[in-house]
Amino acid sequence: MTDSKPSSNDILAKIRAAKAAAAGDGSEKAQSEAPAPAGAAPASATPPASPAAPKSTADILAAARAKAGGGAAAGGAPAAPSGGAAPSSTADILAAARAKAAPAGGAGTSGGAGASAGAPKSPADIMAAIRGGGATAAKPAAAAAKAEGSPKAEAAKVPAGMSAADMIKAARSGVPATAAAAKPALPSKPLAAKAPAAAKPAAAKVVESRRGFFGSMVEVICSPVVIAWTAFSGATLFSALATARFMMPNVLVEPPTKFKIGPPNDYAPGTVSTKWQAQFNIWVVNAEVDGAPIIYALSTVCTHLGCTPNWLEGEQKFKCPCHGSGFYKDGVNFEGPAPRPLERVGLRLAEDGMLEVDKSVKFQKELGQWSNTSSYVPVA
Amino acid sequence: MQHYPDITSSVLTGLGWYYLIMLGMNLLWTVRSYKVDGNFKNGVPVATVWAVVASLLMMLSAAHFSSAGSPDTFLIRLPMWFRNFVDANFSNPVIYFVLSIVLFAGMILLREWWTKPTVAWTGLNLSLLFMGLSLTDYDFRQIVGKPDNVPIVAMLFIVAFFTWIYFTRSVDNDRRIAEGRPLFEQENNEKVLVWPDLVYTELICMVVLTVVLVFWGIALKAPLEEPASSMKTPNPSKAPWYFLGLQEMLVYFDPWLAGVVLPSIILGGLMAVPYIDFNKAGNGYYTFKQRSFAVTTFLFGFLPLWVALIVLGTFLRGPNWNFFGIYELWDVHKVEAANNVNLSEWFWELPGLGGIPKGSDFGTILLRESPGIIVTLAYFFALPPLLGVSVLRKYFVRMGVLRFLVFSNLILWMAILPIKMLLRWGFNLKYIVGIPEYFFNI
Repeated sequence: MTDSKPSSNDILAKIRAAKAAAAGDGSEKAQSEAPAPAGAAPASATPPASPAAPKSTADILAAARAKAGGGAAAGGAPAAPSGGAAPSSTADILAAARAKAAPAGGAGTSGGAGASAGAPKSPADIMAAIRGGGATAAKPAAAAAKAEGSPKAEAAKVPAGMSAADMIKAARSGVPATAAAAKPALPSKPLAAKAPAAAKPAAAKVVESRRGFFGSMVEVICSPVVIAWTAFSGATLFSALATARFMMPNVLVEPPTKFKIGPPNDYAPGTVSTKWQAQFNIWVVNAEVDGAPIIYALSTVCTHLGCTPNWLEGEQKFKCPCHGSGFYKDGVNFEGPAPRPLERVGLRLAEDGMLEVDKSVKFQKELGQWSNTSSYVPVA
Repeated sequence: MQHYPDITSSVLTGLGWYYLIMLGMNLLWTVRSYKVDGNFKNGVPVATVWAVVASLLMMLSAAHFSSAGSPDTFLIRLPMWFRNFVDANFSNPVIYFVLSIVLFAGMILLREWWTKPTVAWTGLNLSLLFMGLSLTDYDFRQIVGKPDNVPIVAMLFIVAFFTWIYFTRSVDNDRRIAEGRPLFEQENNEKVLVWPDLVYTELICMVVLTVVLVFWGIALKAPLEEPASSMKTPNPSKAPWYFLGLQEMLVYFDPWLAGVVLPSIILGGLMAVPYIDFNKAGNGYYTFKQRSFAVTTFLFGFLPLWVALIVLGTFLRGPNWNFFGIYELWDVHKVEAANNVNLSEWFWELPGLGGIPKGSDFGTILLRESPGIIVTLAYFFALPPLLGVSVLRKYFVRMGVLRFLVFSNLILWMAILPIKMLLRWGFNLKYIVGIPEYFFNI
């Protein structure tokens, strides 16, 4: 793996191959009937394994033995059933592992076929097997256990030290990986041994489920995930409600929408009064509209973009400083970009003879609302 | 009537420095001219002419400094007849816009002439002289000298400078291509290393820019105004200078169109350009001839339709958004008669049609606005195919249907701005489709 990073498929194929190779080594050991002395076994195992690089095979075996320690002899047994086909496949596998790239998959399959019927196929299984964890023993492991019939419990302790990360690192590191990969290969033995271990937790669960409905519920409700999400949802809901409440303040600091602006004779015929412009945003106009003298109140908001136009007495028009919209005295737009006339606000003669403006209602000419009697007060 | 002083002693001192700087620039240019052009070029003693110009500027500067004590009797000022002439004939958006288009066309067509160093330098000198003389006018000074507007004055010269660079290089390369010589970029390969060359340059630029900004911040006071009030709109009420083109567009269009749709189309259209452009030429070198359509279209959108509108909005739009001449007093009470009508109002008043349909139900509105709606639909749906088989046939063939439709629609959207402006100015047209009942106006 000197040229590029291996894909996960390559790595897994390699792991499979290495594992199968370890199984083969085990069988070789069994055949040579010399488990303890490391020197003799490699000597016999090397020629069939790989003529190209005899050293690495020796390394593998040495490493395997060193790792397995006292359990090596016991570990040889589970792999024995598949031992017949092993030597040739071991050679294939090692060669493939060294060749690294495309053939990896093929090596994996041949290794799987030749070495052990119970060899796990899926990456998850392999990882689980490598870790040698207690409860994670998967189906293939169980199948292997069945096939062999006699799981060895003591072998389970052997592989615990090897993590998946180590595995991958070893596979990535290229040529030395063959030696390194041999170590993780050992888990194939405990793999078979895991079967009873897997069975035990299941039995324990059955006992737990007898705790009762409420016990289970409490266990579920008190789980950290549920607590966290509940708290988060609650906080979100609360802040949403607070935001909604914020939209309805207790006190509104703005001018009242209904207010009195004095008696009608405050507004001389033909004039535009700007005295309420600053306070209430309205102009009060006394003018003839369609032949009838009326008083009406215009909103000071330009219908183009909302600036405040100025009343130009000399030109008798409202003129907006922002984009030059112009409105006649009656509020009708005639120049500039304003698309529609100024809006009237509600106006009525109150019971006490004062004019009362109601800014909460609008009257738009283009909608024919200026004929509404609430939009003006006739001058008597 | 002299209700305000055209010239004060501080103006004279300032202009003295102004001409002194011009003198320095022209002295450097004289040296450069002597080195490049020699004693004579085409029989003209170029360097000598520049030396004379420099000495004249020196006298001008000296005159300003020495007269700083008696500004009222100072004679070098813009003649009144010139100001009146300009105000009477050029204070009109139509003339302004048409002039900017003419200038744009001249810039494209006469590019081989005005990019010559001597011509360009003469142009720069004349524009600076024009500005210096104009600064003796009170109203001009009020607008151009306003701290708000300093960046726009600077921008005018900067835009002109970069446009000049582009056209100079392009003219040069076009000539090289025509003569079969290697491109300027190949012959004078200025490839430098990022470190240290580029990084050092950037560092220097950063420092200089910071210094300029600091001095600017100290020298020009921020034009603060009274606290904002929703009841009172400043008159004139102007957007930030870089949005003044947009504000000018808003005069001719409904807010949703000029404020939302058009800016979005500008942004989206600029993003679409790389996918529309099928012309591979001009990659990595300046050229005009090989990309004339692309360059002309872009510069038309940028110079007359954006920069010129910014200048229009900054210098020429006064109170009530009226148009003012450059030497004209910003009179709040200036009356500009403008009685705008919608297309429907004009159409239905034609003899024999019996007046505008009245009523606010949907059918009546549609009938009322049908002429405008038909025109608009025809513009956006009938014109692209027509263009595709006629004027822009070449582009249609190269682009294919979908790309051509996007391309032609972008062109048409860009064109509606000047079209609408001209319709407003020429025919007082307010809206082609005007449905204020539903806030829909085009």
